Amino acid sequence: MSDDNALQDSGHESFVRPYIITAGRTVGQAGDIPIETLVVARLSNEGLNPDYAAVVDLCTTPLSVAEIAVHIHQPIGVARVLVADLTASSHVEQHGTAASEGAAIVRRLLDGIRSL
Amino acid sequence: MAFAHSEAPAQRPISAKIVVSGGFGVGKTTLVGSVSEIKPLRTEAAMTSAGLAVDDASKVSAKTTTTVAMDFGKLTVDTGLMLYLFGTPGQDRFGFMWEDIVKGALGAIVLADTRRLDDCYAAVDFFESRGLPFVVACNHFDGGTLHDLEEIRSALDVPADIPIFMTDAREPRKVRDALLELLEHILTKIEPATAMASAPPSPPPPSSVAPSEPSFQPWRADNVVPTPSP
Repeated sequence: MSDDNALQDSGHESFVRPYIITAGRTVGQAGDIPIETLVVARLSNEGLNPDYAAVVDLCTTPLSVAEIAVHIHQPIGVARVLVADLTASSHVEQHGTAASEGAAIVRRLLDGIRSL
Repeated sequence: MAFAHSEAPAQRPISAKIVVSGGFGVGKTTLVGSVSEIKPLRTEAAMTSAGLAVDDASKVSAKTTTTVAMDFGKLTVDTGLMLYLFGTPGQDRFGFMWEDIVKGALGAIVLADTRRLDDCYAAVDFFESRGLPFVVACNHFDGGTLHDLEEIRSALDVPADIPIFMTDAREPRKVRDALLELLEHILTKIEPATAMASAPPSPPPPSSVAPSEPSFQPWRADNVVPTPSP
C-alpha cells in the first residue's frame, strides 16, 4: 500500500501531544461514542482553541468520529474526547447509529446496496 | 445513548457499521476499497513490539507492509444513511480496537485466505462469542488452492446456517454481493420467522420473542434512490 492511500490531507496538522489536547482525559462520556457516529456542526467555531475549531470546521457536513480522527491526525480516543466536549458545549451534534434500528435499517441497506 | 432517540429521524442522517475481518494480509483493505467512495482511511494505533513477532508477512507472497491500524471506508446508501466498513487490525489478538470496532456493528464479513484458513479461526471465535452475525467470504487469490466450500466450513467448524462463499476482494461487484449476503443473513437473525420463508413449517415456540415490526418502513420518504456509483 502506498502512503498516499492512507490520509487525505485536511490542511490542519497538530504537533501537540494527544493527551495535552485532551487534558489527560481518556474515559467518561467520550468512551461511549461509537466510532461511526456522525457528527455535525451546530455553532460557529469562533472563540474555540484550534484543536476544537478544526473539528467544528470538519463537521460542516456530517462526518464520523473515525474520519475526524484521521483528519486531525490524532488517535480515535482523542477525537472522541474533543467531540464529547463540543457536544456538551452544543458546538456539534451527534447523530444516531444503526445499532438499535433493527430490521428496518438492514432492509434499507439491502435496497440501497442492491441498486448500486 | 443520549442522541439515539431524538426527533425527526427522517431528517437526520444515521450511520451503520459492518466489520471486515480475517487474517493478516488476506485483503481486508482491498475489499473495503473496492466499494468505498473514499480511499480507505487509516487510523493511528500504537503497535506493541510483541505484535511484530505475531505478524508474519513472509507467509504471504506479495504483501510488504503491515496493517497495524484499522482501515475503513464509507458508502452512501441513500441520502440519510451512511455505511461504514471497518477492517479489523491484522493481528490475531483482540485488543481495545476490536471492541471499539465491533461495538454497535450490524455484522461482519470474515475474509478467508484458502491457503491459510487457520488465520480466521480467531475472528470466527470472536464473532461467535459476541453473537455478532457473520458470513465467511473466501478471497480468491491468483495461484491459491481452491478448497471446496464445504471443506472450508468443516475446517472452520462454522455452523450450517452461516453462509460461506467465494469472493474477490478486488472486484466491486463481488464485494457488493458479499455485503448483500451478509445483510440477508443478518435479517434471518433479526427476523427468523419472516426472512426464512423457505424453512420447513414448524410452529414457533411460544416463548420466542416476537419481532418488533412497528419500525419497519420499507418505503419511507427518505429512502430515495442513491446516485449511481462511479
